[in-house]
Amino acid sequence: MEEYSVEYFKKLAHDIMFDISDQEALELQDDFKELVSEINVLDEINTEGVEEMVYPFEMETHFLREDVVENVISQTDALSNAKSVKAGHVHVPKVVK
Amino acid sequence: MDFERARKEDVNARIHVALEKAKAKQADLNAVVSFVDVESQIEGLKDIDENQPFYGMPIVLKDNVNMKGVRTTASSRILNNYVSIYDAHITTKLKEAGAVVIAKASMDELGMGGTNENAYTGPVCNPWDTSRISGGSSGGSAVLVSSGVVPFAIGTDTGDSIRKPAAFNGIIGMKPTYGRISRYGVIPYASSLDHVGYFTTSIKDAAVALEVLAGRDDRDMTSSYKEVENYAEQLNSDLHDKKIAILDNVQNAITNEEIKDNFNSLMAKLEARGATIEHVSLDDKLMHALLPVYYIIANAEATANHSNLDGIRFGEREDGESVEDVMINSRTKGLSSNVRKRFVIGSYSLFAANQEKIFRKAQKVRRLIVEELKRVLDQYDVVIADASATIAPKFKEKVQAGNDDIVTENYMVLGNFSGYPSITVPTGFVEGMPIGINMTAKPFEEQTLFNIGLAIEEETGLKGNDVEVDA
Repeated sequence: MEEYSVEYFKKLAHDIMFDISDQEALELQDDFKELVSEINVLDEINTEGVEEMVYPFEMETHFLREDVVENVISQTDALSNAKSVKAGHVHVPKVVK
Repeated sequence: MDFERARKEDVNARIHVALEKAKAKQADLNAVVSFVDVESQIEGLKDIDENQPFYGMPIVLKDNVNMKGVRTTASSRILNNYVSIYDAHITTKLKEAGAVVIAKASMDELGMGGTNENAYTGPVCNPWDTSRISGGSSGGSAVLVSSGVVPFAIGTDTGDSIRKPAAFNGIIGMKPTYGRISRYGVIPYASSLDHVGYFTTSIKDAAVALEVLAGRDDRDMTSSYKEVENYAEQLNSDLHDKKIAILDNVQNAITNEEIKDNFNSLMAKLEARGATIEHVSLDDKLMHALLPVYYIIANAEATANHSNLDGIRFGEREDGESVEDVMINSRTKGLSSNVRKRFVIGSYSLFAANQEKIFRKAQKVRRLIVEELKRVLDQYDVVIADASATIAPKFKEKVQAGNDDIVTENYMVLGNFSGYPSITVPTGFVEGMPIGINMTAKPFEEQTLFNIGLAIEEETGLKGNDVEVDA
C-alpha cells in the first residue's frame, strides 16, 4: 500500500479503532505534508547525546504504596455509565458465536 | 468582577445572580455545557466555615473536570452522556473552601484546539465582541469570567489554553508549575504538558486561589511535595530587586503598532518602579521548533490517553455486530473529524519504525528548548512578552502564518515544555478589544509572577476588569 495514500490513512485510522472518510483521508495528506516539514525543522537541530525529556521535572514524586485498598468505586457507580449492563457486568455483543 | 466585589452581595443572592446571568448570556456566548444545581451546594455551605476563601463564591469548572453527579463531556460527543462518579481533587478542594459550582464550561473537544470553535456544543463567543473567538481551549471558562458572571473559573493548559484566552478576554490566566496542582479527576489531553490553572480578574484572587488548589495529592504521580506558600499574604509590588527579560523573538516579530506601544509603555512604567528591564533572545532555530515539537508530542500522548474512549464502559455507545464494531462505530461517530485526524498523526509518530525519528526526536528537542529557557531564567526573574501578536480574531479569520507568526502565536508553550509557572495579565485595549502580556518564572516561583503581576495591575487599573456582552 502506497504510503500517504487514501487507503493508507484509512488503515492507520482503523488500527486505532475508528474510520475516516475519503475526504478526511485527503485532508490528512495535507496534514502529513505539514508533519514532514516539521520533522525537517527538527532534523536541522543537533540532538546528539541529548536525553529525551519525557516529563518537565525528573525528581521522584511517585512511590510504591502499601498494599491497602483505597479510593474504591462501588459496582453501582462503576456500571452507572455503561449503556448495557447484565448481571453486574458491562454487556457487549458476543465475542464467540 | 473580583472576589471583593462579589462579596458585596449576600451569598444566596450572588450565587443566584451568577446562575441567572450565565443563563441569560448563553444565547450570546454559548459558554456553558451544563448548568449545575446550586441549591444542594448552598445547603452544604452550612458545614463550611464562613472564613474559607471561596465561601459562597460562584465559580465555573471547565468541562474536563469531574464533579460527582454532574455531566462531564470535555465538549466531545463521545462523552455527551457521561456523568461523573467522583470528584476531581480540585473539585474537592474548591468545595471544602466554600465554592459553589454554577456551570461546566465549554472547551475545544478534549482540549485539542486553541479557538474553542471545535466544541460539540458549538463555538464560544467573545463578550467584548461576539463576532470574535474566545480563544481556547478553556474558552467557556474565560468568557464566563470576562463577562462578569463569576469571579473565578478553572481552566487547563496544555499549549497556552488558559493564557491565550485570558489575553483575548482581558483577564488573568494563571498556569502554575507542573505538579503544583493535582490533575486527578481531570480528563487528560497530553500528560507531560497538561496543567490545571484558572482565570480571575485580580492578582489577589489569583494568589488566594493557588493557596486553595496547590499541594501534594498521592493520586497524581506528578504532584509535587513542595510546600504551598502564603501567596496572598506575601504579595508585594515593589520591583526594585526584580530583573525582567523582554523576549525579543516575540516582541520584534509583532507588527501591530498599538500592541507594541502598549507593551513598551508598560515596560517603561515597570522600569520607573525600579525594575531592571533588559532584552534577551532565545535561539531562533529552537524557537521555530516550538510548534513542531508541541504538535508531535501532544498528538502522540493524546492518542494513547484517549484509547479508553470506546463507548463500552462509559460514553455514547453505537451499535455493532461485535465488540470491535461497537468501538469503531462509537469512536467514529463520537470523536470529531479534527480529533480523529490528530489521533492518526499521533499514532503514526509512535510507530516503532517512526518513534526514534519523530517522537523521541521531538522529546530531545524539547529538552534543548527548556535548557535554552533556563539559561535566561538563571539570570532573570521573569521573561515577558505580549501574550498574542493580535487581538482576538474574528470567527474563521485565519491568523497570518508567516515565519515569525509561528513564534509569536505559539511561544507560550515554553511554559508547558518546561513546566515553569506562567501568567497572563491584561494590559489595555486595542480596537476596543483587550490585550495582555505573559510572564514565565522559575519553577515554583509563582510568588514572583503574582508580585510583578500586582505591579502591572496597579499601573493598568484593570483589577476586576469585565464587560457586558456586546452582541
